[in-house]
Amino acid sequence: MKKKLTLVLLLVSLLMMFGVRAVVAQDTFFGKTAAELFPDSSDSERELAFKALMAANIPDGRALGEGKTITIGTLGQGARGGISGTIYFWRPAFEAATGATVEIVEIPYGQLGTTIPADFLTGQYTYDAFVAAAWQYGDWVSNEWIQPIDAWIGDERFPAWALEDVAPPFRALLQWGGQTYGTQMDGDAQLLYYRNDILNDPAWQEQFKAETGKDMVVPPQTWQQLYDITNFFNGKDWNNDGDPDDGISLHLKAGGQGHFHYATLAASFAVTPADGDDAMAVSKFDNVFWFDPDDMTPLINQPGHVAALEFLQQLAATGQEAQFGWELGAAWDNFLQGNAIATFSWGDVGSLSQDPGRSIIKGNLGAAVIPCSDTWYDRETGEFVTNTDAPNCVGNTTGGSWHPVMSAFTDEPDLTYFFMSMIANPVINFYDATTGWQGIDPCCTYQLFPPRGDATPDDYAAVGFDASDMERYIAAYGENVFSKPTSLTYLRIPGTLEYIQNSLDVRLSEAMTGQKTAQEALDATAEDWADITESLGVESQLEIYQQAIGYAGS
Amino acid sequence: MLVLKPMMQKTSAKYFFLMPGVLWILAFTLFPLVYSLYLSFTDFRLGKEPQFVGTKNYVEILGLDGEGGDDKALETATFSLFLTLGSTSMTLIMGTLIAWVFNHDLPMLRQMRAIITMPLFAAPIALGFLGVVIFNETNGPLNNILQGLGFERIQWIIDPWGARFAVLITDTWQWTPFVFIVVLAAMQSIPEDLYESARLDTRSNWILFRRITFPLIAPALGTVALLRLVETIKILDIPISLTGGGPGAATQTYSYYVYQIGLRGSFQLGDASALSYLVVIIAIIISSIYFWRVRARFD
Repeated sequence: MKKKLTLVLLLVSLLMMFGVRAVVAQDTFFGKTAAELFPDSSDSERELAFKALMAANIPDGRALGEGKTITIGTLGQGARGGISGTIYFWRPAFEAATGATVEIVEIPYGQLGTTIPADFLTGQYTYDAFVAAAWQYGDWVSNEWIQPIDAWIGDERFPAWALEDVAPPFRALLQWGGQTYGTQMDGDAQLLYYRNDILNDPAWQEQFKAETGKDMVVPPQTWQQLYDITNFFNGKDWNNDGDPDDGISLHLKAGGQGHFHYATLAASFAVTPADGDDAMAVSKFDNVFWFDPDDMTPLINQPGHVAALEFLQQLAATGQEAQFGWELGAAWDNFLQGNAIATFSWGDVGSLSQDPGRSIIKGNLGAAVIPCSDTWYDRETGEFVTNTDAPNCVGNTTGGSWHPVMSAFTDEPDLTYFFMSMIANPVINFYDATTGWQGIDPCCTYQLFPPRGDATPDDYAAVGFDASDMERYIAAYGENVFSKPTSLTYLRIPGTLEYIQNSLDVRLSEAMTGQKTAQEALDATAEDWADITESLGVESQLEIYQQAIGYAGS
Repeated sequence: MLVLKPMMQKTSAKYFFLMPGVLWILAFTLFPLVYSLYLSFTDFRLGKEPQFVGTKNYVEILGLDGEGGDDKALETATFSLFLTLGSTSMTLIMGTLIAWVFNHDLPMLRQMRAIITMPLFAAPIALGFLGVVIFNETNGPLNNILQGLGFERIQWIIDPWGARFAVLITDTWQWTPFVFIVVLAAMQSIPEDLYESARLDTRSNWILFRRITFPLIAPALGTVALLRLVETIKILDIPISLTGGGPGAATQTYSYYVYQIGLRGSFQLGDASALSYLVVIIAIIISSIYFWRVRARFD
């Protein structure tokens, strides 16, 4: 009896020991507590991040990384800023899982075209991987600065992620010439955001009808309908704060990324989808936006573009004059603080709207696919087309879709891929896209609602988001990427930054601040572009451009 | 055993101690200068082999080929000239005026002097970012003050001329203390008995300043003017951080343009070197005129 009791006690003690160990194991990640891994986070953020980390099933990478160091270059916006914040945030967890050290080099947006190319061109090879924009592939791949990662994908030694989970338009941005170079992280596309509560208020709808003679279409389907709405609300005190409020909120300062918004808007004025079954087929006249795919003649001063820029000038006039001096964050804040009826921008606005530290519109966010245009230019016929019943709709994946790529010169490819795949892990990526401050936008099926993906509004409610806001925002995000007949082609050629930042961005600012007319500004852009192409070599640029947009010749 | 003669020992020691300085100048001053001169005669673009093109870069920039020249170079050079003349004269006038005030016995002079010189020790890029706040059209303190005084709000960043003056004011703000320090030192070195003698003939402060102070601080003002001219021609950091060169290209300086051509995406180091050498030539002309004037004065 005594022996039996001793045996039972021993068994209970053993079970308790294992139980305690199991609890301890649950409370640490490779020996690190949540407080050690996320020292700068609030309790709720730390709890959610740790939960995501534990659910990510990160394998033991210490055999790969013990005592080693890798260097990651990233778009730099600080340890709690967009894109670079993600790298800082998960660094301690990666270091715990691998025993390696990560050095982070932040590169300001304006220096992206300088720092990384200069590093390769001068043979320094500082970075094992760098987080930068998909539009830089033209430079990176053609110069063989980055290497394909297909051989690593699916290897069980590394954190799991699946290329199939990435929505096809974003997947295409991780690839070049049939090979995969990047691991997914951020899916940039621009949406229309509006104040759901105000636009659906019957009193405002009635007043709109009385003033304009039209029904207010909510959400607006075309840019022209959006203009009617922003023009109606601009200058009215619709938020009852005692001051006149804005119609639209844009950011138009040179160097402030406003050129992306121009491209999103101009697409439906200047791009025509292809006839036939495949609306996205690229021909000399269809689905081209930047250059003539036969000879690299700039198309930026074509009538469709000029009409788009003139429309942007008109639309901007329904907001504050100060927006001509704003950068991205200022325009977002103006909308998030309830001072503007609408804005169009990336997915960041959707997740930031749920952050009470930055937004007062949680629960009132309206989101919709980017509008179409009821007037557009057909280059093939050389005429403008107007059709209010069947407007021209062009989707977009405008932006950087920031993600890591691996340097072709890294000495630690396995360890580097471990880091890249850890950031790409679905659980971690889902968490990142719900923080707002990280600037990570939805890219994948596990973030989108059916039929595009398998997420639900409850998944977002679980991280504190407003479910009804998410029903509009996430649904619109999926629709924006999948439902349009065609999409704006991505400019991914050598010198993209030169074409865009040094020229288009500056010329747009000249037009928006009245220094040049739309036609003059875009003519000057076309001249700049022709010079840049000539200096880089027309033949080589043409070949890469055709490859980038999938043009097989006329 | 080799025994060096004392004279040889002295000579070797001399070369030994001179060596670091000479190597420094050769490596970091002369080599870049000569190499960039060579690059200015090539079509060098980073990543590609440079080809010798003779004076083509200079000819194209200056429009000697009948093609009208580089419009952007002319545009940015014009703004640089505006900034150079505007900021140099503003800093000289304000720095001298403040120095004249501080050359008198006033309460709290030391404390005020410390406060006034503070902008000089700030990084220009930081002042530029501070300017973004100060010149903010909607909530900036400057516009709030102007409005409080009954003036219209100024569109500092979004109006081309507003932005140009914002850059000018920020640069003037930073460099006025430099002129102030130098001119104050020059004023304090003027013997008091000169003023005492002059006061027997006049009690007018203006005449004392015009007849005694100004002629005696003129050499210091000349040196400061030269340094300011050369410094302002090169200005890059304040426009980058304050206005991003905008709106449009309204506040792009010549150096900004050189930076853009040479290092911001383009890496056209041949063109950028040629553009830089044109500035070097202008700086040499300015300083030669100055030294010629100084020499003439002292001869």
